[in-house]
This record gives sequence, C-alpha cells and structure tokens, in this order.
Amino acid sequence: MNATTMKSPDDEKQSGSGRRGTRVKPKESKPKKNKQTNPWRTQKVKMRRGESGWSYSFISPFFIVFLIFGMIPIGYSVWISFFKWGNDPLDPTHTFVGLQNFCCGDASLIRDHLFWVAVRNTFSIFFFSTIPQMILALGIASILRNPRLRGRLFWQTMLLVPNITSVVAVAAVFGQLYGRDFGLFNYVLTHWFGIGRIDWQENTLASHIAIASMITWRWLGYNSLIFLASMNAIPKDLYESASLDGANRFQQFRYVTLPQLRNTITFMLIMGTIGGLSVFAEPQTFGGSNLGGSNSQFLTLTMYLFHYVNDVGSYGYAATIGIGITIIVMIFSGLNFYLTRKIASEDSK
Amino acid sequence: MSVRTLTGKIFALLIAVSLGIAGLLVSPARAASPVTVNIWVYGNVIEPKMIAAYKKIHPEVTLNIKKTSLDQNHQNLIVAFQARQTPDIAAIEVSYSGLFRDYPQYFVDLRTLGASKIQKNYLAWRWAQGVGKNGSVIGIPTDVGGLAVAYRVDLFKKAGLPTNRTAVGKLWPTWDKFITVGQTFKKKTGKGFIDAGGTMFQAILNQGTELFYKGPGKVDYANPQVKSAFTLTGKALASGISARIAPYTGDWYAGLDKGAFGVTLAPAWQLDYIKQYAPKSKGKWDIATVPGGGGNLGGSQLSIPKAAVHKKEAWDFINWYLAPAQQLKVFKDYGLFPSTKVIYSNPAMKNYKDKFFNNAPTGLIYTTGALKLKPLFTGPKDRAIQNIYGQALSRIEAKKSNTSQAWNSALSSIAQQISR
Repeated sequence: MNATTMKSPDDEKQSGSGRRGTRVKPKESKPKKNKQTNPWRTQKVKMRRGESGWSYSFISPFFIVFLIFGMIPIGYSVWISFFKWGNDPLDPTHTFVGLQNFCCGDASLIRDHLFWVAVRNTFSIFFFSTIPQMILALGIASILRNPRLRGRLFWQTMLLVPNITSVVAVAAVFGQLYGRDFGLFNYVLTHWFGIGRIDWQENTLASHIAIASMITWRWLGYNSLIFLASMNAIPKDLYESASLDGANRFQQFRYVTLPQLRNTITFMLIMGTIGGLSVFAEPQTFGGSNLGGSNSQFLTLTMYLFHYVNDVGSYGYAATIGIGITIIVMIFSGLNFYLTRKIASEDSK
Repeated sequence: MSVRTLTGKIFALLIAVSLGIAGLLVSPARAASPVTVNIWVYGNVIEPKMIAAYKKIHPEVTLNIKKTSLDQNHQNLIVAFQARQTPDIAAIEVSYSGLFRDYPQYFVDLRTLGASKIQKNYLAWRWAQGVGKNGSVIGIPTDVGGLAVAYRVDLFKKAGLPTNRTAVGKLWPTWDKFITVGQTFKKKTGKGFIDAGGTMFQAILNQGTELFYKGPGKVDYANPQVKSAFTLTGKALASGISARIAPYTGDWYAGLDKGAFGVTLAPAWQLDYIKQYAPKSKGKWDIATVPGGGGNLGGSQLSIPKAAVHKKEAWDFINWYLAPAQQLKVFKDYGLFPSTKVIYSNPAMKNYKDKFFNNAPTGLIYTTGALKLKPLFTGPKDRAIQNIYGQALSRIEAKKSNTSQAWNSALSSIAQQISR
C-alpha cells in the first residue's frame, strides 16, 4: 500500500514533464505556424468540418472488415441456430424452432450426450497440453536467458520452427510415431522399458496425452519466446537488490521473476483457452474421422461441430454447437481472468 | 500541396487501378483467344500426365486445377453453388453424389452438350450415379473402384492355405467362408487376417440392391441388407480375425510391407498405394476375386456447374478425358480402373498383367467384378450414416461392445443425428 501511494505523485511528475516536452517540441520545429493549427494539439483545437470525417475514415478499415467478416457471420450463426435445417445443406426449407436446438427436448444440445463427451475430452486435452507447456516454456525461457548460453539467436529461431510447420503434417508425423504396431514410441516402450504396447487410440487417457503432446510440440517454442521477452523486460535492479538481500537464483526466480510475469501468464492462459478449446486438426488427423475414435474418446467440440457441417449437413444444429462452444469459452476465460486477478491481488498483500 | 488535392489524387489513382483490374477480369473471352478452364478436384482425379497431353491438342486452353481435400472440395462446392461462383468443372465423389443428385438445378444438363451420345460406352450402374433426380445427366463417371482381395502369398503358404489365385478365390465363395478361412489363418500364423472391418462392411453393402435409402427422400438405414452386412462384419470382427489396422494410417503402410495382415480388400486405385508405400513387398502380394463375386469402392465424376463460365471448353475437356482411349491410358499409367465398359474386351486390358502382384491379370479380375454390380440409390445423409456404423464396428473390433449392442447404439445415434 505504501509503495503505491509513494509512487503515484512521482508518476504524475514524470508524465507531466513528458507532456510538457511534447508541447514544446513542435513549437520549436514550426515556429511560424499558428498555434491553433499545431497538429500535436488537435485535442484542444476545434476540428474543421470534414476533418473529423477523415479521421473516421482512417480507422474505418478495421471496423468494416470486422463487421463484414466478424459481426455479420457471428450474428448469422446465432440466427441459424434457431432453425432446423432441411434434409441436407442445400435444402432451402429451414424450419424455425426457436430455442429447441438448445433446450430442453430429446434432440437438444443440453441433452446431447456426445456434446458433453466432447466437452470432457476438450478440457482434458486442454489441461494435458497447457499446464506442462507453461512449466516447460518457463524452463526454456530461463535457459535462454542464461548469459553463458552460446548461439542464442539460433536457438530462438529454432524454437519457432514447429510453429510454422503445417498442423496436418505435424499430426500425420505424430500419428506414425504413435502407431500401435509399428510406431516409434511403442517400440521404445516395449524394447527399452519392457512396458508393452499402448493402444494410443483406443485408450482414452493415452489418446488425450498423445494429442496434447502434438499441441505442446507446436506451441512450446512460441510460448517460451513470449516468456523470454517479458523476462527481459524485468528491470535489472530488482535482481540486483534481491541478490544484495542474499536471495539465491531460485529465490530470485520465485520472488522476482514469477510475480513480474503475472500479466504474461494471464495473457497466455486466455489465449491458450481460446486455442485449446477449439482444437481440431490434431485429433481429426490422429483418428482419421470426425467422430474421434470408436467411443468418441477423443472427439473434441470443434470436431463435433464439423461432423454436423460435413457429415450430417445440419447447419442449424452445427451453429448451436458453435454457440455452445462460445459460451463455454466465455465462462472459462472469465473464470481464468478472475482467478489470476485474485491470485495477483493476494500476492501483493 | 494541400491535403485535399493529395487525397484527391490518391483517390483518382485508386479508382483508375481498380477499374483497370476489373477490366482485366471481365474482358470477354473470344473463341480463338486463350481460355482458362477452372477445375476443382481432390487427390489426382485429373492425372498430371493427361493435363500435359491436353495442352498439346488444345494449346489455347489452360486447365487451372485447384486441389483441396475430399471434404473441403465438396464443402466449397456447396457454398459456391449458392453464391453462383463456381468453377467450370467440379469433381464429385460418389459418397457426395447422393446429395448433389437431388439438386440438378445447380448443374448443366450434360445431355444438352452431347452426353446421350457417349452413354453407351459406360457401365450402366456407374452412369446412374451421375444422373439427377429429374433424369438430367449431371456428371460423367471417371473411374470405377472395383474390388478384389489382395493377399500375401508368403503368409498364405505359412498358414497351409493354397497360394494360387484361382484356388484362393474358390476358398471364399461367400463371406461366411471368408471368415472361416480367416480363423484358420489366424490360428496358424498368429497374425490378423484382414486389415480392418470398415471396408468389409462397405463391400458387402455394395453387393446388395439397397443402401441407406429406398428412394429419393426415403431414408431406410436399418433395412435387412444393412443389418445382415453389419452382423456379418460384426461376426468377423468378434472372431478376432482383424489386425485392427485402419487403412491409410502409418501402421497400415508399415504393415503392408512387413506382412502384419494376410489380406486387404482392394479397389483398383488402392493397388497403386501398395506399390508406392510397400515397394519392398513386390512379389509377395497377389490378387484374387472378392467373396460374393463383385464389388466397388469409391469413384468420382466430373460435372459442369450451371454458373460455369466456359461451359463448352469444359465439356470438350471432359469428353476427351473420359473417353475410352484416355481412360485406357490412365489405367496403364496409374492403375485407375476405367468406367467405360467398351474397352474391357480390349486386349490391352484383358491381357494386362501386373508385375508387382505376381503377374496377376488385374484387368481381367476387376472387369469381372465391375460388370456384376447394379445401380444403388445414394442419399444425402449417407456419409453420416456410414460414419456412425463404421464407428460402431470399430467398437466391436476393439472389444468394447458386442455386435447387438453396437447395432442398437448405432441405430439410436443415427436416428437422433439425422433428425437434427
């Protein structure tokens, strides 16, 4: 508490002087011009007619693109989720059924057994991919920060290579590695460790771990680099004072690095939630169908949506699943945000 | 320069450039001038060598081929039809033809371009897969999957079974006998007999007279033919003769080479996969007829959407590419089996022997099977129904369920999913 009250007047002074600086600068560079038209002070100057219109036109491209490719499709999919589609995707007869796709009849989303199986699988794969990934990424970032590491630029570049590889190619290669009869992993497990073969597809837990490993492989480098960047932004004097206080390297990591990375971790968790809850290509290529294995043991939410688009051809229900996914992502992201903020505020006490 | 004149100039420039581009896009194609025919395909429906050959005959025509995955290709088409922004030629796979046959209004009736004249060249049941519900011809068949059994000679010898292809074919006049042979094989070699159950189910179904529909709009997925195909496949899987290796997976490619299973039900186009992915197994494979005589798996057709720009050029290409002479060339170069029955008696086909498969007369074997089939009605929900049955069968295969449980749960899943 003290620290913050001490800080604030200081901050004001700094920003105040900064503002003054910018105010002075243009005056010097364009001394002949009238004060009123000084472009740095547009806030205080009444804009000429037409000028405000121009400024809107400069920011409009994003909003126009977002409206056309973002808002309209989202709105449209909400709209079609109230319909029962005809016999096939091209059938023009769509019957308005209100909220029946969502609740509460036998054919509604809320009572769709497979939907909830997909929710379970998606979360399970999410946890198996995100949590190890965070820990590993922190470790790799700490290694990359080590001043004694040679060829740092090379390692940083290599870390991004998995990320630019095609997802389907990654999944196809991993599919071979996880082959039950002739896969490399099972070879190692039987011949080196004597554990025996694991049926990576039929076993629910094994299939989740296999898929999570593909996601981890792809995103680990990217996340490590984000951690590295925000670690490099931590002021050096914090470490200096910590070491003056006698903190060893681990204590420095625990009490300086980790708390400073709080915002980064929150950001990555939310991005990870959105990405992790829409995982599709890895499990789809892994099983070779949209149903995710014999018992749908690795069916994910997006695969289930795609099954209704591609195999069944019921766009109305597919849109309903899409809305379901959106609601789940929103709840989960909100929860994430709340929890990380709560942890953050407890930490600063 | 004031702000206003600068932006004015930028605007003028932008308009000029965009008009120029638009002019390029809409400039009408004259008869002799170069024409680009846009073609949407998946896989190698249009074989690369043939594209080069066509360029020699028609240097003014450029074939612009856009290749996507099987599912993507058809999803794109569904959108394109509604937006009226279609390619000039669209490849459609038989599993999707049931959907598109209900919508002939999106296609050029190829009879107006001369399809009736060439109809007699093609297999009747295969031609019927490209006929719309109002009788208009919306697609010309490319190849026929056909079906035969590829078997490992070395493993059959080990199991004490005959190895001569005629004798092997006589081992299994029916699917029940096929299962019995499989059990003997499994006992003697300890290996799986068939690679996986999915293809067996489809093969038995395609030998029947009815799939999942009685006729347009009349879904009938639990009919006796489907049930007996399911029960028979379930019996085979429950008896443990499957190696449980799904086709086109890493394990399958390795298994082809190493002999992880005794047989695979192979459409003609699959022979090329075996050659490519298991080159070391040359001479270890041979081909025999399929239980029940005939069979078919897969196949495509080429269509011209109604919104196509170059309809005539598109038809000229289709007419050339799918003519008997060109299909014969594709068969020799790539092993795709012709849909034009008139060349089945051609010596080049009848006497064709495949060195890789112990000099098996593949031309003759696939011809016999293809001639026996009858037209089957395919409907818009076929893919969903097929996938759900396939999933239920893999539960039996993984010993997670018995046949009757799997059948019942498949029925309730299908009922629920197609009602949505």
